[in-house]
Order: sequence, then structure tokens, then C-alpha cells
Amino acid sequence: MTRRWQILLLGLALSVLCWQARAQAPGVRVAVVSSQLSAPHMDAAQALIRQLESRGVPRSSIQIYNPADVASIPEATQTTIKVWVALGTQAAMVLGKSRLKAPALGALVPRAAFERVLRATGHQLSPQFNVVYLDQPLSRQMALIRLALPESNRVGVLLGPDAWHRNASLRDAASANGLALRATQVDDDDALFAALQSVLEDSDVLLAQADPLVFNSHSIQNILLTTIRANVPLIAFSPAYVRAGALLALYSTPTQAGAQAAHWVLEVLAGRQLPAQPLEPDDFEISVNDQVARVLALTLDAQALRLALKQQERQP
Amino acid sequence: MKNSDIRRRMLLAALLPVALLCLLLSGVFLFSRFEDINDNYQLRNRSVARQLALACEFGLFAANQEQLQAIALGALREPDVRWVGIRDRAGRLLASAGEANGAGLPGVFGPAEQIVGNLPDMFTQAVYASGLKLDDLYEESNGFEHRSAAPLGQVEVMFSHQPVSDKKREILLLGGLISILGLLFGVVLAARLSAGVIRPMMRVSHLIERIGHGDFAAAARVQANTSADDPLHALQENLVRMANRLANVQQELEQQVATTTSALREKKEEAELATQAKSRFLAAASHDLRQPIHALGMFVARLSQLQHDAATRQLIDKLDASVRAIQNLLDGLLDISRLEARAVQIKLQDFPLQELFERVADDLAPLAQDKELRLRVRPCTLWVRSDSALLYRILLNLVGNALRYTEQGGVLLACRPSADPTQLNIEVWDSGLGIAPEHQEAVFKEFFQVGNPARQRTKGMGLGLSIVQRSCQLLNHRLQLSSRLGAGTRFRLTLPRAAPRAAWAEAMLPQPNQDGVAQGAAVLVIDDDDLVRQALVELLQSWDYQVAHADGLQQAQQVIQNGFAPALVISDYRLNGNAQGIDVIAQLRQQLASPVPACLISGDADPALLLAAQVAHLTLLHKPVRPAKLRSLLSRLLTVQGESDARS
Repeated sequence: MTRRWQILLLGLALSVLCWQARAQAPGVRVAVVSSQLSAPHMDAAQALIRQLESRGVPRSSIQIYNPADVASIPEATQTTIKVWVALGTQAAMVLGKSRLKAPALGALVPRAAFERVLRATGHQLSPQFNVVYLDQPLSRQMALIRLALPESNRVGVLLGPDAWHRNASLRDAASANGLALRATQVDDDDALFAALQSVLEDSDVLLAQADPLVFNSHSIQNILLTTIRANVPLIAFSPAYVRAGALLALYSTPTQAGAQAAHWVLEVLAGRQLPAQPLEPDDFEISVNDQVARVLALTLDAQALRLALKQQERQP
Repeated sequence: MKNSDIRRRMLLAALLPVALLCLLLSGVFLFSRFEDINDNYQLRNRSVARQLALACEFGLFAANQEQLQAIALGALREPDVRWVGIRDRAGRLLASAGEANGAGLPGVFGPAEQIVGNLPDMFTQAVYASGLKLDDLYEESNGFEHRSAAPLGQVEVMFSHQPVSDKKREILLLGGLISILGLLFGVVLAARLSAGVIRPMMRVSHLIERIGHGDFAAAARVQANTSADDPLHALQENLVRMANRLANVQQELEQQVATTTSALREKKEEAELATQAKSRFLAAASHDLRQPIHALGMFVARLSQLQHDAATRQLIDKLDASVRAIQNLLDGLLDISRLEARAVQIKLQDFPLQELFERVADDLAPLAQDKELRLRVRPCTLWVRSDSALLYRILLNLVGNALRYTEQGGVLLACRPSADPTQLNIEVWDSGLGIAPEHQEAVFKEFFQVGNPARQRTKGMGLGLSIVQRSCQLLNHRLQLSSRLGAGTRFRLTLPRAAPRAAWAEAMLPQPNQDGVAQGAAVLVIDDDDLVRQALVELLQSWDYQVAHADGLQQAQQVIQNGFAPALVISDYRLNGNAQGIDVIAQLRQQLASPVPACLISGDADPALLLAAQVAHLTLLHKPVRPAKLRSLLSRLLTVQGESDARS
């Protein structure tokens, strides 16, 4: 309740800001396009603005737009904008389709979704159009499995046709952590159960990839049921999966994503270019479903795991 | 019948709304109950199908036929479930349980939940993967929401309708039973209530009927039977009051009628006494008048036969006319009294009119000549059925009357065929002074004369039309009078026609005088009145009869013993010492040992006398006897006697 009120007030404040920014259009330097006014997006935007303000960027030079309003931004305003930030896939899609004079950075965009945006807009990944992925880097995921489930050696992965090309990188990441990858392609919903069963037979842990063809709100229930029956823990990419019954989730919060985006905005404002490679999230969180852990006779502590993983990453 | 009719109507009036309401309510409640049962059935079945679908979700996802079969078998344990089928999204039957007849159904994917075709108890429920709200960020980006609409498969459940039908039948039976019981209760109630109304009504109705028939005492009886809580108590009380009042009024009326009747009877008796007194007086007066006038007539007749000088002859003629007038008056009175007493015997016969007309014309010709009037008789060949003597008197009176009241012109007697072929009209026309409309009824009354306040003797006595009318009534002939003042009068007599016959005995008609037929015959005259006897004897002698006379039976017997053999006996009816002419004649006939012709002469107008004479086969002459009539009778009697003697 309180949170909803906060969101509402923030939304209201942002709207007022939007109106003010329009009035002082010539001063806009950072344009933030948010797909939705939902809590994660607002958290990300707040973190971004807070970070920028703390680093001396005046609030008045930061403007938040709706994706639908992008096309109607006046030419004069567009010339003053130094950097665009897209929060969410839809915003990224809109910016990708717009002719922008300034570089654009996406955030809160999953890897698969960004690939789709690139395909749809014809953009290349470049300093002018880059993204901070929402998904965690494969190496981090594998490292977490290694840390959390040291007894597990075989990692099962289900990939849809669109994501099948990640098979190789997954295998590399797995072997880098001393794990064997068992990847299976799922062509359609009918084949899901058969694929799942074949993967589970040869795996100690199932690593979920953010591929909506395989993992979506309708399939997750049955997938979870199947994995629990097969006594194979599921490592997911979102805390929601942990709430639904996955053992672990590795993810970045919107605040973390906003802060990371702010870092790169400051870089651009400081006259530097964005990197040409996609940006992996540098901060992350880990969730644990204690109930599932108990069923699987595991003892896991999310904070400890996070710290351990962070520490491991900091080591060369 | 009336009772049952009222009862039926009342029952109908009371029952019809109850029955309708009963039916309506039963219908509404049964219908809504059926709806409820149906709804419950559908709801329960649907929920069974839904639960089954939920249970099947993972089994279908995993295509786990063993699990699905177990679920299907488990669903069979639900009441009314006959068959369960679980199909995957391709329509393949993965599991089924129950009666086999549902297994052949094709897999149909339609709306999430459906009642298949015409089978109301077949439910299908599509099975979807249950959704789970996940992370907004990934959901926003996946863009594959539409794919979730595809179902995992479907569940088909067939339910038995039998329990529902049984329950409906049960409710229907119960409802029908309650309705019938309600109706029966209504019938009994209505019958009892209506009886409470009908009985007093019928009682009142019977009471009115009895009062209508005059039984006023019924009211009192009914009143005694009714109680104060009777619904029609007030009505009955009023009826009783009315009946009592009617009874009183009737009593009063009866008393009044009785009083009036007795008063009228007294008046009538008084009037009758007065009439009898008048009749007695008239009879006595006429009897006493007849004797001297009878004698006077005969003396005048005798006198006229003698030789006289011219002056005396004229005087005698006037005397004769005066005597004839008196005689006519007395004849008229006699006729009236006889007609009034209905003592006239009618002899209906068929006869031709012509001869009757001629006789009337002959008899009245002198009167017409005296007044210098033309009396015409139109020749007539028709026959009629009537009494010739009475008809003669009628015509004589009508024509005589016409002549008397006509000063110039003439009188016509004619017969004409009537519009009715069975009838005939005899008409008497005159050119006299006519009768005013206001007098046309009065002319038929005794002694009424138009335009003769001075009562001139030549105009008659005013008895003619009265005699005519009474005679016509007796004969049943219709008499019509049409007249205009100053333009003459026409009397029309309508009587039945008869077929002409060849043989006609002329003797039936009153014969004209046949003088000298039996001259010199011996006639015995018996009369206790010396004057009358003397006049008659002298008259008979003047007609050349041998006459002996006696004042009674004894003298007569002596005359016969003395050797007088009468050919004819003429006797007065009433003789000295209460002796009667009839007895005298009978005894004389005994003495003579032969039925000597005889005739009676009487001064009484007593109808009984006429009957007695007829019984004794005697001709009765009334005083004053006209000499001509007497002469004609004598000659006829003597002729008949002569003929019978010749035959014997």
C-alpha cells in the first residue's frame, strides 16, 4: 500500500517534471524514455536520476519521456540532448526506430529482447546504441551453480529456436566452471515436456534462460512441478521464479540497473563514448527459496552467496 | 333442478378462482423448482468438469496417461458421472472411464466450457496451463502472450440425467397431489359455504312461490323455522310482513265483494220482483182488455155485415179501423212477450222466397194504396232455410214499417245473393225520412218511434222493429240497418241459402182465406163470458155455421146429449170454476168418441199455455181474435177434418 502510494506520488512528480522540462526544453541533456510507469521502471529511473544528481547533473537537464512522446520532441530539444536512456524493451525499440543525434543506452532489457530489437530496427550494437543487459552474464550464472551446488556437475539448459545460438557460449561458460552442459532445443509447447524430461534425466541442475518461448508465466508452473518431481533444482533469472518454486535466482534489481546506466550516462556527458560491446550488469542479487532448499536438503544463504560470488568476480 | 343449478353456479364461482390460482401457483412453483434443479445440475456438472480440468492440467502437460486414467476413474466416483474422457490438444483420447457409449465422440475444441450438441448431459472443459504472474521486466519483453491461449487438452464428462428426471417426477407428483388436495379442500369448503347461502335462498324462493299461490300462512310457518343468524333473515322478515299485509288486503277485498254482491243480489231481486209485478200487471191488463175487445171486434164484424145507410157504413168502417188498431197493438204485445219468453217454436225448413214476398205484398198492398206509395217486389227464384212464419212476420213488420214512415216514393222488397255463396240477403228499401245515426240503435227498442212524438196511431205502436230484431236473434239471422236522414232507409237481412227443390208443399205456408169451404158445419162455442160468447155465436152464424153454445163443460155435454153433433169445438181456455178449455175439449172428445177438431181461444199471453195447447194438438188463438183469422182457421180445420173423414 505504502509502496503503491510512493509510486503514485513519484509518477505524479515525474509528470510535473516532464511538464517543467518541456517548458525549459533547451536545457535537456539527458532524455530518459521509460516503457512503463511500473514500479521496477520507476525504481530504475529514480536510481538513475539520484545518481546523476549526486554527480552534479542538474535535475532540470534530465527529462523523462513516454515512448509515444519521443516522435513529438521538438528539434530544438533534440539538439540539446546529449544522451538517451531507454528503460525497458519497448522504450529501446522506440529509440532504435528513431533517428537520434545522441547515443542511446538501454537498460532493463533482456538479452533475447535486445537481440529482437536489433533485428527489428536494423541497428548494430555500437557506441551509439548500446545496452546494459538485464540478464546476468553466463559465467556468473555458472559460477553461482558452482558455489551454491558444489555437488552438481551437469547443468541442463532448455533453449528455444531463437536462443539456440547461445548454446556454444553456455557450454564454454559451463566448462570454464568445471560443469558439463546438457542443452536441449524446445521447438514448441508440445515438445516442452519431452525436452524437459530428457534434460532432467542427464542433469543435476536446470539453469533457466530468459527465453520466453520456454520460460513464461504459463509454462513455469508445470516446469517447476516436473523439476521438483525429478528432484532437480532450478536456477532462475528472476526473483519471481523463486517465489513460484525455483531454488535460486540470480538477478539485478532495477535500482542496480539504473545506477549502472547513470554511470555510463556520466561517461557520455563527460565526452566519452559508450563501449561497442554489450554491457553486462555489474551488480546483482541472489534469492533463495528456503522451502525448496529444505525439500532438496540444501542449506543456502543468499547474502553469503552474493558476497562470495562478488568476491570471486573481483579476483582475477 | 333450480336448486342444483344455483348450487352449481355458486360452486363454479367459488372454485374457478381457487382452481386457477392453484394451477397457476403449482405451475409457477414447479417451473421455478425445475429451473433450480436444472441450474443446480448444470452448475454442479460444470464445477465437476472444471475441477477435473484443473486436476488434469499436469497430467496433460506431462501426457501422463496413467495419471489421467486415475483422475478419470476418480471422477467416476462423483454422483451422476457416467463417462469421463480426457483428450490432448490434438483430440487424442488419452484416458477414459465409465460407460463406453461416450467414447466415440470426436474431440471438439470450442469455448472453454461447453455443453455438447443435443446431449444436455455432456460437458466438455478445455484444460489450460494455469498462469503465474512473473517478473514484469521479462514479461514485458517476451511478446509471446498470445501463445498461452492454446489449451493443453480437454476434459469430457457425461452425466446421467436420470436423478434429475426422477427428482422432477417426484416434485411433479408431490405438486399434483398438493394441488388435488387443495382443490378437494376448496370443493368441500365451497360446497359447505354455498349450502349456507343456498338453503335460505331456496327457503325464501319456496316462500315466495307459496305466497304466489295464495298460501299466506306459509310465511308464518317459515318464520317459525328461521333463526336470527340466517343470512337472509331480514329478507324473510320483510317477506313475512308483505305476506301478512297481502292476506289482510285480500280479506278486506273479499269482505267488500261479499257486501257488494249481497247488495246487488237484493237490488236484482227487487228489480225481478218489480218486473214480475209489471208482467203480472201487463198480463192481467191485457187479459182483461182482450175479452171486451175480442167481443167488440166480433160485434163490429157482425155489424158490418148488416145493411146500413152510407153515413152509418162510414162510421162502422172507422169503428172497424179503430178496433183493428187496438187488435194490432195487442198482437204486437203478445208477440213481444212470446219472443221474450222464447216460447216461440222455430221450425226451420227450406222454402222459396217468392211466395212469401207475394203474400207480404198482398197483405200490405191496401196500406200502400192508402198512402199512394209504390210497393215493389223484385221477383226472386232463390230458396232459403228459415222459419217461414217468423220470416213472414219479420218481413211484414219491415215492409209495413217502411210504408208507415214513407210519405212519397215507394218501398222495395228484394233478395240479393250475398258475397258468401251460402248466404242470401233480403233487403227492404224505402224513400222515407230516414233514421239519424244517433237513433239507429234506439229504433229497435219497444215503443220507440222516430218523428212521432204525438204518437199518431197510423204510425203504429213502435213494436215492429223490436219484434223484428228479437225474431232475427231467435233465427240467428243478421239484421243490418243503413240509413241517412232524409235519404231513406235500407234493412238488410242475411240468412242461409238453400238448394231449390221441386216438390214444395204449399200447405206449409199459412194459407190465404178459403171462404165457403165448410159452410153449414156445426160448431160448438164454449165461453164463460156471455158477451164474448154472444158475439162469437152471432159472427159464426153470420158465416152460415150452425152454432151451439155453452158456458162450460156441463152445458156443452148437455148440448151434445141433446143431439148436437159438433164438427168443430171452439173453447175459451179459462172457464168458470177453474175449468180449462183443454180438459173440456178432451172430455167432449171422449163423449163424442171422436177426435173432433177444436181450437182454444185465450186472453192470456202465458207461454206455458201455448206449450200445453201444442201438447194437446190444439190450435191456440189469442184474443182479440180477428174475425178474418178465425174464419180462415175454421175453414182449414174443417177441410182437414173433411179430408181425413173422406180418407177414412
